[in-house]
Amino acid sequence: MTKSRASDWTLVAVAWTLVGIPLAWGIYRTLQSAIVLFK
Amino acid sequence: MPGLLAKERIVAPPDFNRWLVPPAALAIHLSIGMAYGFSVFWLPLSRAVGITQPVPCPADMSFWQRLFATTCDWKISTLGIMYSLFFLFLGSSAAVFGRWVEREGPRKAGFVAACCWGGGLLISALGVYLHQILLLWIGSGVIGGCGLGLGYISPVSTLIKWFPDRRGMATGMAIMGFGGGAMIGSPLADILMRHYASATSVGVWQTFVTLGVIYFVAMMCGAFGYRIPPPGWQPAGWTPPAPAQQAMITTRHVHVQRAWKTPQFWLLFTVLCMNVSAGIGVIGMASPMLQEVFGGKLIGVAGVLKDLTPVQRAQVATIGAGFAALLSLFNIAGRIGWASLSDVIGRKRTYFVFFTLGILLYSFAPTAGRIGSVPLFVGIFCFILTMYGGGFATIPAYIADLFGTRFVGAIHGRILLAWSTAGILGPQLVNNIREYRISHGVPPAEAYNTIMYILAGLLVVGFFANLAVRPVNERYYMTDAELAQP
Repeated sequence: MTKSRASDWTLVAVAWTLVGIPLAWGIYRTLQSAIVLFK
Repeated sequence: MPGLLAKERIVAPPDFNRWLVPPAALAIHLSIGMAYGFSVFWLPLSRAVGITQPVPCPADMSFWQRLFATTCDWKISTLGIMYSLFFLFLGSSAAVFGRWVEREGPRKAGFVAACCWGGGLLISALGVYLHQILLLWIGSGVIGGCGLGLGYISPVSTLIKWFPDRRGMATGMAIMGFGGGAMIGSPLADILMRHYASATSVGVWQTFVTLGVIYFVAMMCGAFGYRIPPPGWQPAGWTPPAPAQQAMITTRHVHVQRAWKTPQFWLLFTVLCMNVSAGIGVIGMASPMLQEVFGGKLIGVAGVLKDLTPVQRAQVATIGAGFAALLSLFNIAGRIGWASLSDVIGRKRTYFVFFTLGILLYSFAPTAGRIGSVPLFVGIFCFILTMYGGGFATIPAYIADLFGTRFVGAIHGRILLAWSTAGILGPQLVNNIREYRISHGVPPAEAYNTIMYILAGLLVVGFFANLAVRPVNERYYMTDAELAQP
């Protein structure tokens, strides 16, 4: 029930960036494929 | 001193930030999610011997001879068996090893999953190099499939314990990764295969080796990132809701060995099986369905698909592939979206929405096709796919609500057999009905209508199963003595 340390939030940001970048790249590539539907 | 992988070793300090656990789970789920994207290998593998063109096996060659033949290429239908193996071994390993995962903790489970999935890809690489399909099936299908099951359930129990206030959102984040894995893996595999392709190789075995190493490292990072909350830990400022206020959320626990004897277990099994069967049915036929229902209309010309020129058909196929891509985006959006919403409206109501809207949308889809509205048709299926993804992501929290958190991972593992069942039921149903209708003279564009009504029928079964879910009977709960045992 203790509050998390500030340094942990930096680690949280790094961890989320590490998984977020490939996921964002995958979503971008998928959107590129899907865009033909709206042309 | 407990071993490096032991559960005791990963008990978090009291000030540990719980938001570090979902990225660890995502690292594992994004890796194993590539299983969905394996079809990217089928075309290159179907010309692994011929390189530029497939070399067909002699017509008089038996099935067994084809399995070991190194001078002719594999058929795409033979390669597609991999998907059945994925579904079968994912569900089976989750069911068989669920209790082991619960006992040994998420780090050991993640470690073994990384070895199975990464190692399975390396065995598959050897299979491609030696041109032995059995090595591919055993490597990725059987060993990799076990890695899928262990990796899939490894974070569920841990996340639910870290986020008792947002169970749905927490498991939704991880399970979103399984849906998103192919979005990263498929284009990456495509880039790698083009990089490794040469005059003597289609570049698949080298791609398997590269992906195997990447996924092994990513999953190891995830496994070693897992932490379990210390005993009695609760989020700051959060108090568990009083049992009377939340009748559908128990504070007690049902043992995994007793859970399958409860009607609730089989009702949830049916709920998941029906939701997934209908969704898988749609995913498998999405691209050809759009092309056959709308034909030339997709590119602004008159005529059905068979009347189009090869160039026009290629354009229509590109749009069909774009539709499949769009559906995968809505699938992952639904996983995090619906699972998070279930924390607010409750699990039973969430599935009530899935089945009610699902029945209406599946039944209305043929009408959207008949009136020729592409946006309406596409919109209906995008929404359906959010509910397919949402069904997967919400089930762990539903299980935790009904059976408690003590054995949630193990019970979830057993209920995942519904996925294996649906993985066979859904596509078989769709393909057989479509072929039957077409063989009886129904135009391809109209053959889908009956399928939609049958899929809606599956959702009716799921609707009533969900409606019948009630809190678990007192007699199934663990006693204090049982709870005191390790």
